[in-house]
This record gives sequence, C-alpha cells and structure tokens, in this order.
Amino acid sequence: MYSFVIIKSQPVRLSLTIGAVALCIIMMLFLLGIYKGVADGSVEYIKKNNADLWVLQKNCTNILRGTSLLSSWQGNLIMEDPGVESVSPVLFLLSSVKNGKNHSTIFLTGYNPENRYGGPPALVKGRNIKNGSEIVLDIAFALKSGFRINDSLTIQDETFKVVGFSKGTNAFVIQYAFTTIDKTRSLIGFPGLTTCYIVKLKDGVNRESVKRDLMKNISGSTVYTQEEFLSNNIHEMQSGFLPVLYAVASLGAVVLTVILSLILSISILEKKKDFAVMKTLGASAEFLSSLVVKQAVLIILAAGAAAIILYYPIVFGIHSLSPEVSTANTFLQVLFVMLVAICMGLLSSFIAIQRIRKIYALEVFYER
Amino acid sequence: MKDNQVIVSLEGVTKFYRSNSHKSTGVKDINLKVGKGELLLLLGPSGSGKTTLLTLITGLLEPTSGKVYLYSKNISEIKAKDLQQLRAEKVGFIFQTFLLIDSLTAIQNIELVLRFAKLKKKYIRTRASDLLNQFGLEKLAFKSSASLSQGEKQRVAVARAIANDADLILADEPTASLETKQGMMVIELLHDYARKRNKCVIVASHDLRLKDYADRIIYLQDGEIIEAYPELNIDNID
Repeated sequence: MYSFVIIKSQPVRLSLTIGAVALCIIMMLFLLGIYKGVADGSVEYIKKNNADLWVLQKNCTNILRGTSLLSSWQGNLIMEDPGVESVSPVLFLLSSVKNGKNHSTIFLTGYNPENRYGGPPALVKGRNIKNGSEIVLDIAFALKSGFRINDSLTIQDETFKVVGFSKGTNAFVIQYAFTTIDKTRSLIGFPGLTTCYIVKLKDGVNRESVKRDLMKNISGSTVYTQEEFLSNNIHEMQSGFLPVLYAVASLGAVVLTVILSLILSISILEKKKDFAVMKTLGASAEFLSSLVVKQAVLIILAAGAAAIILYYPIVFGIHSLSPEVSTANTFLQVLFVMLVAICMGLLSSFIAIQRIRKIYALEVFYER
Repeated sequence: MKDNQVIVSLEGVTKFYRSNSHKSTGVKDINLKVGKGELLLLLGPSGSGKTTLLTLITGLLEPTSGKVYLYSKNISEIKAKDLQQLRAEKVGFIFQTFLLIDSLTAIQNIELVLRFAKLKKKYIRTRASDLLNQFGLEKLAFKSSASLSQGEKQRVAVARAIANDADLILADEPTASLETKQGMMVIELLHDYARKRNKCVIVASHDLRLKDYADRIIYLQDGEIIEAYPELNIDNID
C-alpha cells in the first residue's frame, strides 16, 4: 500500500526511472539476442552441411578464426579410403567486394555446385549458382550493401552476377558468399588449394575407424567428426565474442542497479520524516525494508513489461538500419534477463535500505 | 498507587547531552511514577526537558544514569526489537505537528499503526473505520491527510494514537498548533481516554490552559522537577 503510494507520488520521476531501467533490460536482451543470433549464424553453415568428417590442415581447429591450407592430392588420398563415399573440397577466402565506389568484405566460399556439400545452407530468394560467374550472397550482406538479384559485383576485377540470397550465413562481423571452387582458386592464384574437405561416409561404415585411418595416412592434416568440428567452432566463437557481450550486458546490469539504488535512496531521503514517524510508532525493520524492496520490485516489473513491449519494435528498427545485426531471443533468455533484473532490483533496495538505518525515530520529537 | 497500576516508573534518571566537549543537561535526577487512569501534565518552558523525558520513557533515548521502567521492565534490558513491538502494541504518540503520513489517507494512517501492532487484517479496517466514526471523521476517511485542516489532522492523530488500545499515550505539545477550541477538544479526548478507559496519558506542554484537565502536574525547569502539583512528594501519590 504505502510502497505503491510512495512511488506514484512522483509520476515524472517514476516514468523516467521505469524508462531508464527498461532501457537497461532492453540492452541486456539485445546483447543476449545478438549472441544467440551470432551463435546460430556462425555455425549454421557447419550444421547444415551435416558431414561425417571434416578434414583440415594439421593444428587448425575451426573455420571461423583459423587458417587451413590443403592440396588436392590430400583430397585424392581421402577418396581412396574404402569407407568414403564422397569428398567435397571447400575454399574460404576473405574477399573485398566492389559495389560502385564502396568496398565491403565477405567470406567467399568456393564449393562444387554439382556436389550437395559446402554450398549455402538455405536460400531465401533466387537460385543457387550454376557456374563461376555467379554468386549467392548472404541476405543480410545483400540488404546492407543494397544488392538485388541480377545485380553485378566485382571481386578482384572479376565480375559476378548475383543469383540468390542465403540465410544462416551471417556471422555478424562477416557474411558468407558462395561461388564455384574453381573460380575461388583462380582468384587466389593457387590451383588445387583447399581449406577443408567435407567427407561423407558409406552407410554402415565405422566413423571413428575411418577418422583414425585418415589421420594416419594423410600427413599434415587433422580430422574431426561433425560434432567435434561444430563444438570447436562454437567454442571459438564464444571465446572471442561472448566475453565482450557479457561485459557489456553486465555493465547494463550495473547501470540498472546504480539508477535504481539512487532513486530509492532519494525516495527514502525525501520521506525521511515518514520513516522516522513509522519507527517511533513501532514499525519493524522488516516492514520498513519491505517498503523499499516492494518499490524496487514494482519498478522492475513495470520496466520489464515496458522493455518487452518496446524490445521488438526497437530491434525491428535496428534490423532496418543494420541488417547484418541478427538477433534471436528465446523465452529462456527473456526469463533470465528478468531474473537478473529482479536480482539487481533487490541489490539496489539492499543498498538503499542502509539509508533507513541512519534515520532516527528521535528526530520526530524535534520536528516543529 | 498500587504497583500493578504503574505503567511508567523512573528512578533517578539523568540525561546529559554531549557535543564538541560541551555537556548540557537534558533531565536531572528524575523520580516519577505514572499509572493507569491518570493524565499527567509535564509543564515547563522550551528546553526544560519535557521532550527528553518523553523520549526516555519510550526507550528512544537511553538515560546517562538511572532506570526507566515500562510495565515494570527496565527498558535498557529490553531488546531493541521487543521494545519496538512494545511501542507498536502498548504505546500511542501524539505530536505537535501531528506527523501524519501525508501521502496516505486518513484511514490508511490509522491502519498503519494497527499493522505495526500485528492485528488481524480483517479487524484492521473495521477498527480504523470505527475510530473515524467515533471522532466524526468518517467523511474524511479516504481523503489524503495532507488535505485535512489542522483540527482534523490532530483528531486523526489522536485516533491513530489510541487505535491499538494503547495503555500509554505520550503527547508532545498536542495543542500547540491548534486554536483554543480545537486544543481543548483534543485535551478533553485524552482526559476521557485516561479516565474512562483507565489508561495512562502523559502530556508535555507549556500551555497552562491544560492544567484543569490534568490529574497531576509536574513543572520542569532546566531538566529538574521543581514543583509537583497537587502532591509535592510523588511517593505519596497513592
């Protein structure tokens, strides 16, 4: 009753507080959404390829932040293994795309379009490439750079025609593009160069056994199962990206705590006389503390509701301005952020409650 | 006065205030017993120690020496939490500036002390409404206490003080902010509460007009009792 009365007695301040706390919650939701979006986008390519084995250069663990250079003879050796059904070479190349006067960078992926493996995980518009003069772009990259189907773009003086847009190919800092492996090799100038081989095994073949054989027979290479390779890439993405997001999200939580504890402390100071009167009249410390805790919880709940209502329009606006910023939020994330906000609210009220201790009941007798 | 009638008892109570190596006397060597059915008037000029005496009685202030008994218990030996609950259940307060909580309505101000006294929720609203009816304030029950007149505020304050059926009412300058008629009405209410309900009321004031309502008057000056009326010797009060 009284806690509600206290917070509604200053409607402008209450609105500003709810707004500020809601923005902190939105920021936390957004950062977690980016994390999920990036986490999904970065490894979607690997997931969708669903290889049995991935062969890379020795000591290379992932394709996101590693260099792997293999030759075609290694591909031929893999194919000689009796358990192997198909071997698909893929070459990744960081390339600069020229669009008029603008330059932007893509993760050019060369693969064999006649083969099922190594290409875009899914197309949202257009069709797949048929030859080396065509290219499929990530949809976020296309939207950001203003490319449409049938547009032309230049990579190292070679012109490509945009024939399709893919999804699941946005790794936030870089987006994938797809053309033939031969064209990619010609761009770098090393025929037969490959980043990795995607290996499919024959039905019923023991995967671990083939993995051991390949590791033994193909010098300078390393072999991963689909699960191992996926896990390596997720780990790489998390170790490089996640700490930054967590640091910024934590900052949001700290700002939320500071704002709320400041507002609650001011509110206590403004109602100092009332608190002193209640102390004199026999209010317990628990009752007085509960007034502050209830205020914090009421503010957090109102801010949480405002944040959830405002979050999706804000994200839509951000996507319109920066299509490469892909977010994905789950119900658990929303729940997690709300729990964090409530915990921070309780911490804020705990900080503010310390003020009540410095209010003396005796003060009321000298109130004239 | 029989021992079972005594609510407040002070034995050789002295309070000194110290600030920046300066020592001043709050009250000095006070011996006093106040019992049920009695309205005690503490008279004296500003700074004579009236308010200090009230705060010592409630345990909000600790004496430098001497003992304060509330219901025969030495309050310096009562735990802070128990003392707070004792105030909530057994003591009522009336202040010069009323000290209602402005953001609450009249009825909420009364309900608040009933909550402190840990009364049942169901009983709280009924009791608060009954009190407002009793004081002719039923139409003001849901008005913000900030919007009430001075007289109405003090009546709500009196209703709040007696809401928990307090055995002891401490009133600090209860008529100072009121016109004569309203002031007399308040002191009559307190007098009736002491007499008809067999409660103990201690009023600190410098308003001599209140003396006609007092069962006993103590005159304080510079922290000392210099005159007790009608009995000069408080041990003969029986």
